[in-house]
This record gives sequence, C-alpha cells and structure tokens, in this order.
Amino acid sequence: MNIIALFKIVPDDTLIKISGNSLDLNVPNKISTYDKNAIEEAVRIKEKHGGKAYGITAGITDRKTIREALAMGLDEVISIDMKEMDVMTTAEAIAEEVNQIKPDIILAGESTTDSSGSVLPSYLAAMLNYPIVSYAKSISIEGDKVKVERNLTTLTEIVEAPMPAVISVVGEINTPRIPTVRQILESAKKPVRSLTFNKAPKVKIVSVSPYVIQRKKIIIEGKMEEAVDKLLSYLRGEGVL
Amino acid sequence: MKVVIYSEDPEIIKVGASYFPNEHTIGITTREVKYADELYLVDRIDEEFISNFIASLKPDVVLVGNSKRDKTIAGYVAGLLKVPIIPEVMDLEGNKAKRVVYSGMGIAEVEFSYPAVIIIGRKEVQVKEKEKIEINKLEVKEGKVKAIEEKSKGEQGVNLSTAEIIVSVGRGIGSKENVKYAEDLANALGAALGGSRPVTAELGWLPEDRQIGLSGNKVKPKLYIALGISGQPQHLAGIKDAKIIVAVNKDKNAPIVENADYTIVGDAIEFCKIMTEKVKNK
Repeated sequence: MNIIALFKIVPDDTLIKISGNSLDLNVPNKISTYDKNAIEEAVRIKEKHGGKAYGITAGITDRKTIREALAMGLDEVISIDMKEMDVMTTAEAIAEEVNQIKPDIILAGESTTDSSGSVLPSYLAAMLNYPIVSYAKSISIEGDKVKVERNLTTLTEIVEAPMPAVISVVGEINTPRIPTVRQILESAKKPVRSLTFNKAPKVKIVSVSPYVIQRKKIIIEGKMEEAVDKLLSYLRGEGVL
Repeated sequence: MKVVIYSEDPEIIKVGASYFPNEHTIGITTREVKYADELYLVDRIDEEFISNFIASLKPDVVLVGNSKRDKTIAGYVAGLLKVPIIPEVMDLEGNKAKRVVYSGMGIAEVEFSYPAVIIIGRKEVQVKEKEKIEINKLEVKEGKVKAIEEKSKGEQGVNLSTAEIIVSVGRGIGSKENVKYAEDLANALGAALGGSRPVTAELGWLPEDRQIGLSGNKVKPKLYIALGISGQPQHLAGIKDAKIIVAVNKDKNAPIVENADYTIVGDAIEFCKIMTEKVKNK
C-alpha cells in the first residue's frame, strides 16, 4: 500500500508576535500542527498494512523540518519549492507528483496554521478525481475500501469510500510520536527529492496586517471576594450585566 | 455574472446576496429563503454530488458557507472548475477580499480574478427580499462516498453563536467534575456554556459542539468569561467579536490576559463559587 502524507512547513504560530503594524513572521519553522497528525496516521497505516509512506511538502522547504517528518517514520519526502503559492497552484504542484506515486491513500491535516483554509484536500481530490473524506477522526482499511469516522462538530458521520481517496484528519485522530535519537540520526539517510514549481498564483497577497482588537487589559488581584466585587462593578459600568 | 450561493445554513444565502445585489443569483440550501432569484432545495448532503451540480451551472462566482461540509464542497467545486479559491473571507469588494490568516493573528488582503470560489461566514446584512423566486427541488444522489451512520453529539438547542453571555472553560478548570461550577455560574447569569478545543475535542469534559475557536464556533457575546483558558491563537480567533472579555487565570502571563478587558488572577473554581453567589443575591 502506498500512502502519501501532505505536510506544510509554516512559521510557528505560537511564536508569531505582533510588533506595531506588522506580524513578526521571522520565527522558527515547524510542521503545521494537524499535518503532524497526517504524518503519524500515514506511518501507522504503513506499520499495520505494509507498503511505503511518502511525504509531499510544498512552499517553504526547510531541510531541518523535513528531517523531522522523516524521523517520524516517512520513507521518502518530495519537497516542492514554491516562492509564491495559492491553493490552486499548490494542488497543481502536488497532483503532478501524486500521479507518479499512484497512492492508495492521501492524508492531510484538516487545516494549516498559516492560511487556515481547510480546502486544499478537497481541491486536490477533485483534480485527481478521487473521493474526498474530510475531518477524519478514525480511519480503518477494509479490503479495497476505507472506513472513516468524520468529526463534523455537531455530529459524527461514518462513511465508506473506495481507494484511492483523499482524507483530511482532525487533531484528535492520534498523538503524533516524538522521534527517538536513533530515528533522528537514521532520517539523514532517507531520500529527499527536491524540485521547484513556478507558476504565478491567481490569488495574490497584497498585505498582511495584525488582527487585533484593543482590549482594556485591566488586571484585578487580591482576595477573591473583593476581586469579584470589583469585576461586578466594572461589568455593570460597561452595561453588560 | 452568474452567482451561485451554496450553504447548508440558509442564512448564508442572504449574506452572499448582499455582496452581489445586482446580479442574477442561484441559491442552493436546505430551507426556503427569499434572497436568491432561483433556489434549489436539498434534503440531504452529498459533497461530491452537490459540487458536481454547482460546477455544472458554469458559475462566474461561487459563494459557499463555512461549516465543515460547506468548506469541503467549496474546495471540491474549485478543483472541478480549476479556478482560484479564497477561504474564510470576512470582507469582499470587487476582486479584493480580506481574510483571516495565521490562526487568527493576521488579516491578509488578497487580490484575485473571477471566476472564483469564495468562502464566507455569517454576518449582519441588509438585503431586500426578492419578489419572484423560482424554487426547485434538487434530488441528491450518493456519490463515491457512502454514508453508513450519523450520530448527533451534545444536546440540541445550545446556540453559542447567538448567546449574549458565554461562560467558557479551559484545561485550567482542572477536571470534568469541576465543570459543574462553571455550569452553575452560567445558569445564574443566564449564559451559554462553551469550552476550548482541549476541553471539548481532546478531553471530552464538554460535548464537542460546545467548542469555541477557529475550528469550532465563532461567537459574539456581550460578555465572554474565560475560565482557566490560556488563550491559544486558535481560541482567540473565535472570540474576537466579543464586546467584553473577562479572564480568570492563575497565570498573569498567559496570552489570554493580553486579550482580555478584565483579568482576575486566581483560581477559576473559587471565582465561580463566589461569583455565582453574588449574581444570585443581587
């Protein structure tokens, strides 16, 4: 069985700071949060059913972060350098590589922490004419079909789809493993195929500005009784109680 | 321009129509509304089938809502049409849109060309009802993905997106048992009870439909009380429209403090007990 985990390398969202009128994106990179769950699930499926687990990453192609994905258990990574990208060009770049691997399953995180759109998996599925199963919280393979429990916030849906299929996973599907020192060392020997994809995206980012709502930031300390009294008087003054 | 608006949430048809008041609009949704020139009603959702139907209309603009199923359809339609897609748009004017990026920390202004698929959310808009609407029923057939079972989670009737006051719990509340103190406070205030992603989706201390944040419900109450919530970007992104945010946290340096109007430094449970008494006896 061939499995592909799609992962995006992003500036660590928990370290991004707002400085004046701009976002400081000059922070360490990481594998986007839920894409780590996709890698973990790909490795687990491979461990259970055999085969090969590939990773495809597009955009920032930071070697150290790619090593981390390999250390988690991927066998090979295809790294597509893209200076500019939107959902459409990303899907096009990935589709070209998918066609060469002929996978049974393509996994991706439900959304990335940079653009947070959640739409790449279904865009790619439509381009490949594969079925899409989004927001998976458990996946089991039964013959030539895949059975998936979907987390749709207010309801859980169980579906069955033929393979090959594109599946996006939610963070609750698994706990991504932390590679051992040995796995990290061994990851250096694993193949990384690097290529570039240059096509001007049709969606262009004109500017990025911080999204801040100015808050009062009043801190109330001291005994709880008195703190609650103070808070209540503030809230009555605001007219919200 | 041919404008197609799809969402499982009928409210979105109205929002979509507000962006294109002078164009011919085709709405596809689950209940009758008067904001599109042509309306297709669906009684079930198959993402592949509905996507193929939308693509077959050869639209110039496709506006789609932002539920999980809606977003899945938006991506699939854009992939079928091979056109650009702009997710989570908060403002749209001509060929420019504003959207939230970096887990809610930034707003990006983007420029694009039509045809395009655009994902929009609920917001307050003024739209005139159409006088003449053509209503059709769309018989949805199952595609490659077969539905086997559907289970609803949580209780019906808790509507976080319209609640005026929300009491919300995070991991800092300590345990599932302790959630009852927050519930008592919510009852005393006539508030809805919600929670962070860890508490709802990971730990199961509250049903998942109570999740507040970028991946759950986005809320806009007059008063939001965050109990033991540290304030991860993805949570903060869901409460940006709250009028007043109160945080109760032991850690004065937690990110929520920078994003709250009032912070009480202390134990969330002690706060709940005292606050509940005082609210009841006012």
